[in-house]
Amino acid sequence: MNRIKIFSKLLVVSMIFSFMIHMKPISANAHVDVPSYNYSFWGDSIAAPDAFKAATLIQGDDLKFGAFKEPNDLFVTEDKTIYVMDSGNNRVVIMDKEFKALDAIDSFENENKTETFSNPQGIYVTEDKHIFIADTGNNRVVHLDQHYHLVGIIEKPESELLKEDYVFQPIRVVVDNADRVYVMAAGVFDGFMEFNVNGEFNTFIGANRVQIDPIELLWKRLSTQAQRSQMMMFIPTEFTNLDINSEGFIYATNGDDSSDKIKKLNARGTDILRREGYYSPIGDIRYPHDVGPSRLIDIDVTDSEVYSVLDSKQGRIFTYNGDGHLMYVFGGLGNQIGLFHTPVAIERVDDSFLVLDKTVGEITVFRETDYGHTINEANRSYYQGDEEKAFQLYKKAIELNANLEFAYTGIGKALLRQGDYKGAMENFKQSLDQKNYSKAFLLYRKELLRDYFPALMTIILVSAIGMIGFRTYRKMRKRKKGIAIE
Amino acid sequence: MNREMIKYPFYLIVHPFNGFWDLKYEMNKRMNLIISFVILFSMVVTNILSTQYSGFLVNIYNPNNMNSLLEILYVLVPLLFWCVANWSLTTLMDGEGKFIEIFTSTCFSLTPLIIINFPWIWLSNFVSMQETTFYYFSSTFALLWFLYLLFIGNMTVHQFAPMKSVGTILLTILAMGFMAFLCLLFFSLIQQIVAFFHVIYQEIVIRY
Repeated sequence: MNRIKIFSKLLVVSMIFSFMIHMKPISANAHVDVPSYNYSFWGDSIAAPDAFKAATLIQGDDLKFGAFKEPNDLFVTEDKTIYVMDSGNNRVVIMDKEFKALDAIDSFENENKTETFSNPQGIYVTEDKHIFIADTGNNRVVHLDQHYHLVGIIEKPESELLKEDYVFQPIRVVVDNADRVYVMAAGVFDGFMEFNVNGEFNTFIGANRVQIDPIELLWKRLSTQAQRSQMMMFIPTEFTNLDINSEGFIYATNGDDSSDKIKKLNARGTDILRREGYYSPIGDIRYPHDVGPSRLIDIDVTDSEVYSVLDSKQGRIFTYNGDGHLMYVFGGLGNQIGLFHTPVAIERVDDSFLVLDKTVGEITVFRETDYGHTINEANRSYYQGDEEKAFQLYKKAIELNANLEFAYTGIGKALLRQGDYKGAMENFKQSLDQKNYSKAFLLYRKELLRDYFPALMTIILVSAIGMIGFRTYRKMRKRKKGIAIE
Repeated sequence: MNREMIKYPFYLIVHPFNGFWDLKYEMNKRMNLIISFVILFSMVVTNILSTQYSGFLVNIYNPNNMNSLLEILYVLVPLLFWCVANWSLTTLMDGEGKFIEIFTSTCFSLTPLIIINFPWIWLSNFVSMQETTFYYFSSTFALLWFLYLLFIGNMTVHQFAPMKSVGTILLTILAMGFMAFLCLLFFSLIQQIVAFFHVIYQEIVIRY
């Protein structure tokens, strides 16, 4: 009996397999549904709708300048001109917003000599289209104007803070509104290098804290001087990338395994990132043991203090709002469209994302879905103070994804502003936001008391007077009786 | 008599020395046991209600992890562990207490935890974030009161000197840890034995 069962099972399985073999191989362009998710208050990953979906793939071959070779960085200006740092070919490829190649820069004139780049890693373009290139192999940062003419070169800074044998290897570069240049260089543990307009070294800003492992420290205490000199030094971790927003705040990622993997640095180099979300913005909270925590290698800031980070370990892109709430996650590692091989850079252009893949030399373009659009717009309207619109949009977002906990806070805040304290309390309870709940509750209690205070007080007073009256009456009766008996 | 029964725990918590003395030498044992069970039951109820109904500002609970039956165990298991460990130790250390006396005195000591925490289940729904300090203050106060009563109760029941009493209490806690360890060991071994037979059974069933 059992044999027959097993045999029939085998038959079914083999039939399914043969059917699959006869099917056409799945085409590379087939859409993949990597389930998106978000983290709940309790730290569980809960399925969420896709906020962004892969739309197109840009390969270097399609452009007139030929394929990219190990590209490392991407930059998109205000008018959506795209700059790709094509490191392997030692050039910069410029595309317009339709992804048509406009130009390629592979050399510039320096004192009537033509100079080229050597393994350049980073690029930044200012508002007036001045280009800054971190020319890593030549140990310099090259500053070109909009017509690709040389303006200046930043070379190894002269400073007492640097060792004699220090080799200046700039990797990433950003420029603020006052034309100060911030350089992230390899082998520098003191933070970013800040250069003034003339390319002179100012200072280091925003050094990471030293991370000390207690067990390591104990070993170090127990070992001798000679052993100690052989051991690893406690040094702060390097930054992995940086970006600057329109207000001049630097957003930086580092390789630390702590709660401040992402930093927002002000002009003094202090970290002022808001971490009001359920968890600190650190990428994945839950991860397979063998993979380990996210390693963030690129960051991109857009309007309304929204920023996205790229995790190189699992190829995911995490987007957080200004408060530090995780808005959505997309991407992953794989071979289909929408997944990457070795993602290195992300850039947000309005409502689409560009993700640059280093080994494959491709750019994946993601477009926002209706769900993503709703969250983005809701966040934007709230940031701009348009509470009514934010309220409507957050409501819509919750209809699309009832598990989006921070959206309830958004609704609650709008209701609080409108004076619906009870509704606000309910929504804050949904998002498990005690601080705001308490605010709404205090107002609600005050309102209730104001309504019922006169009635309540009258009842208390009347009953108190009544009690006293009754007692004195009884006492008087007793006294009378007592007298009567005696 | 019934009125006395209700009043007695309240008398005991404010006059612990006299209260525990009377509990051991004067009161009816049967009566004591009944009161103890009532106190224990209301402690369990308080615990369940407070995890479910305490105000949002002092109690965020994950509904997926809330289990009333487990809440009962959270009260009963430590209490029984305490009584058993204490009894086992004090018999060796010339304590005069019987098991029933240890059990009743421990249960009576729980009274402050109930009379303070129970009203707070409802009150905590009417406080703001700043006012939760009162909540935490009173629950800490209830806990300290409980510990004080436990100490006095133990001392009176066994007729120990204060220092010896402190010593036995510390040893009792150690013994509780030991018992917990033995229980875990026992259960995990049982589990493995069960798993072993299950695997054998499966193998036989699949093979034939």
